[in-house]
Amino acid sequence: MKFIIENLSKKYDKKEVLRNISFEFSDSRIYGLLGRNGAGKTTLFNCINRDIRADSGACYIENGGTDGIDGTAGSASRRETTPEDIGYVLSVPTVPEFLTGREFIKFYLDINSQSITNPKSIDEYFDYVRIDKDDRDKLMKDYSHGMKNKMQMLINFISQPDILLLDEPLTSLDVVVAEEMKQLLRTQKEGRVLILSTHILDLALDLCDEIVLLNHGELEAVDKTNLDSHEFKEKIISALTEDENA
Amino acid sequence: MLRTLKLSFALKNTCRVNNILYSLKQIPLIKKILPDALYQCEGLKILANIISLIWEILTVFLGKLLYLVLMVFGAGFLYSDKPEELYILHILLFLSIIGSFVNTHLFNPSKDKYYAMILMRMNAREYTLTNYTYNIVKTLVGFLITLPIFGLLAGFPLWLCLILPFCIVGMKLFAASVPLYGYGINGKSYNESRLNTLVWIGIFIFLALAYGLPLARITLPMNLSILLFICCLPLGVAGAIKIYSFKDYLEVNKELLVGLTGQMDKSASTKLIKQQNEKRISADRSIVSSRKGFEYLNELFIKRHKKILWSSALKIFIVCLFLITGALLAIYFAPEIRPKLNRMVMLSLPYFTFIMYAINRGTNFTQALFMNCDHSLLTYSFYKRRTFVLRLFVIRLREIVKINALPALTIAVGLALILYCSGGTDNWSNYLILILSLLCMSIFFSVHYLTIYYLLQPYNAGTELKSGMYSIIMMLTYLCCFILMQLRITIQIFGLMMIAFSLVYCAVACVLVYKFAPKTFKIRV
Repeated sequence: MKFIIENLSKKYDKKEVLRNISFEFSDSRIYGLLGRNGAGKTTLFNCINRDIRADSGACYIENGGTDGIDGTAGSASRRETTPEDIGYVLSVPTVPEFLTGREFIKFYLDINSQSITNPKSIDEYFDYVRIDKDDRDKLMKDYSHGMKNKMQMLINFISQPDILLLDEPLTSLDVVVAEEMKQLLRTQKEGRVLILSTHILDLALDLCDEIVLLNHGELEAVDKTNLDSHEFKEKIISALTEDENA
Repeated sequence: MLRTLKLSFALKNTCRVNNILYSLKQIPLIKKILPDALYQCEGLKILANIISLIWEILTVFLGKLLYLVLMVFGAGFLYSDKPEELYILHILLFLSIIGSFVNTHLFNPSKDKYYAMILMRMNAREYTLTNYTYNIVKTLVGFLITLPIFGLLAGFPLWLCLILPFCIVGMKLFAASVPLYGYGINGKSYNESRLNTLVWIGIFIFLALAYGLPLARITLPMNLSILLFICCLPLGVAGAIKIYSFKDYLEVNKELLVGLTGQMDKSASTKLIKQQNEKRISADRSIVSSRKGFEYLNELFIKRHKKILWSSALKIFIVCLFLITGALLAIYFAPEIRPKLNRMVMLSLPYFTFIMYAINRGTNFTQALFMNCDHSLLTYSFYKRRTFVLRLFVIRLREIVKINALPALTIAVGLALILYCSGGTDNWSNYLILILSLLCMSIFFSVHYLTIYYLLQPYNAGTELKSGMYSIIMMLTYLCCFILMQLRITIQIFGLMMIAFSLVYCAVACVLVYKFAPKTFKIRV
C-alpha cells in the first residue's frame, strides 16, 4: 500500500504554505515530519485530513502495483482517500469529557460494528493501552493528560485506518507514558503509514524509519545512507537552516 | 504627567484602532475587499483614528446624556403629583451613590490598564493617577454641559445645576478612596466587575430607594437632597487627598488585574467557559443508557447535561405558568380588563414571535453541544462521515424541539385560555391556529439554530466563535423578531403565515443540512 500526495498546494492570503507538494509514503514505515515552527506541518495534516480545503491537489491510496515475479508491473488500484482511511491524533488530546472511557469505546464499537473486523472486548482494548481498571469507568473529564492521549490513540487504533497522522504526539507526556506510546506506535505501523510531526529531532530519530522535511512549503526526504546519527542530525539541521546561511 | 497621559492615549487608541480594523475584517464580503496587510494600511488607520477620536469625545457626553434622559429626568417626569424636581433630585442622589461605588474607574479591571501597567511596565502610580484624573475631569465636564440643559428645563436654579456636577465628582472621589482605606487594613483590592454580596445588597437597597420610594409618592425633601449633595464636596476633598497620597497602586492593580490575564487572552477566557461547562457535567454514576450507537451517545449527553439544557427551560416554564395564572386571576377578579386583554391577544401574536425567540434555548443547546461534545468528537474522522453527521442531526433536532416545546406549549395553551376566558372569539379555529402557530414558531427557532450551527459551525479548536457570518445571522434573527414585535396582525392571518413559513423553512433547512452539513460540519481552522 502506498499513500500518495499529489500536487498539494495551500495559500494563506499571499503566503504559500504548501507548494505543489507531491510525495509517496510506503506502508509499514513511521515517517518523521520535521519542520520549523510555522513551516506548515499542521496545515499539511489538516489538508490531508480535509479539515481545511487545499487550493489544489489530492491524496490517494494505491494498493498492489508491486513488481511481479516475472518483472512486469502488477496492476495497481488507486483511489482518493476517504475520511475513514485517516486517523488523526492531535497534540492536545480531545476526548468527549462527558463519557467514561468505557462508554466512549462502546459507542465507537457500536457505530463502527460493520467495519471493525474481529473486535476485542472493551477491557482488552484498555489493557492494550494500559489504562488502569479503576479509571475505566470514570468520566474522561477527570482523566489525566496522558490518559486522554491514550484514549485518543486507542480510538484511532481500533478502526485500523491506513494512514495515521500524529501531530506532536509525545511532546507533553511524562517519560513513562511517552515510552509506552512509542512502543504502541511501533506495534501499530504494520501495514499502514504513520506520519508523525514533531520538532524534537531526537524523538524523530529514535522512533521514525524515515525523516521528511517540510521546508519552504515543500516535502523532502532526507537520505541517511552512509551517515551515523550525528552526521544525520547535522544534515537535517543544515537543511532546515539553509536559507539563513545563504 | 502629560507624557503619561499622552502615552496612555496612544496605547488606548492603538488598541481601539486595531479593534476597529479587526472587526472590519470579520465581516463577510468586506473582508475580501480589505488588503491582507490591513494593519499597515495608512488610509484605513487614519479613518479608524478618526472614528476612535469621535468615540472618545462622544463618551464624554453620550453616556451622561443617556443616563440623565432615561434614568433620571425621564423617570422624574413620570410623576406629576409633586414638583418633578423633587423626584429628579431624589433619584439622582441615590443613583449617584450607586454609581460612585460601581463606576469608580480606579477599580475597573480594564484591558488598557493591563497592557500599560503589567505588559508595558509603566509606572503604576503615575499611570493610575493620570488616567483617574483625566476620567474625573471628563465626568465633570460631561455633567457640567449636560446637567444644566435638563436641569434648567426641569426648573432647577442655575447655581444648583452648576454645583451638582462637583458634588457628584466629590461623591466619586470619596467612594473611590474607601476601598483604598480598606486595602490599607486587609490588603484586599476592590474589584468593580466582581462585586461582593454586600455591595450588591447595597445596590438593591439604593435602587429601591431611588425608584421604589417615588412609586409610593415619597421623596426626600428638596433641601435635604441638596444638603446631602453639598456634603459630598468636603467628602470629595478628603477622598482626593487619600487617592493622591496613596502609594501602593502597583499592588492594588496587580491584584485587580490578576483575573484579567485569563480574559485578555481570548482563548484563555473561552477555555474558562469550557471548563465551566465541563464542571456542569453530572458525575452521577447512576446515569447509564441501554441504547446503542448515536442514541446511546445522545442519551448520555442529555442526561449528563440536564443542568445546562433543561434547567433554563424549566425556569421559563415556571415563570410562564406564573404569569398565565396571574393573567387568569386578573380576568376573574377584574372583569373590566377582559375586552382589552381579549383584543390584545387577538392582535399581538407577532409580539409573541419575539417572546418565542427570547425564550428559545437554541444557542444554549448548540453551545453546550460544541463545547462538551463536538469540540472533541469532531477531531475524529469517523464522526464526520456523512451518514453519521446526518443521523446525529436528526436526533439532536428531536431533542432541541423537545426542550423548547415545554415552555412553548405552556405559552400556547395559556394564551388560548386567556383568549377564551377574556371573552373568547367567534371563530373556534383561532384557538387552533394560535396554539399551532406558537408551536411552529418554537420548532422554527429550534431548527434555525441547529441548522445554522451545522452549516456554519462557528467555533474553532480553542472554542472561540470565529464566524462573522454566524454573528450576522444571529443579529438578523434578532432584528427580524424585533420588527415583527411592532406589528399588529390578527391571529388568523399572522398565525397561518407563521405556520406556512415555519414548515417551508424547516423543509428548506433540512435539505440544506442534508446537502451541505457533511462538508461544513467541522472544526474551524
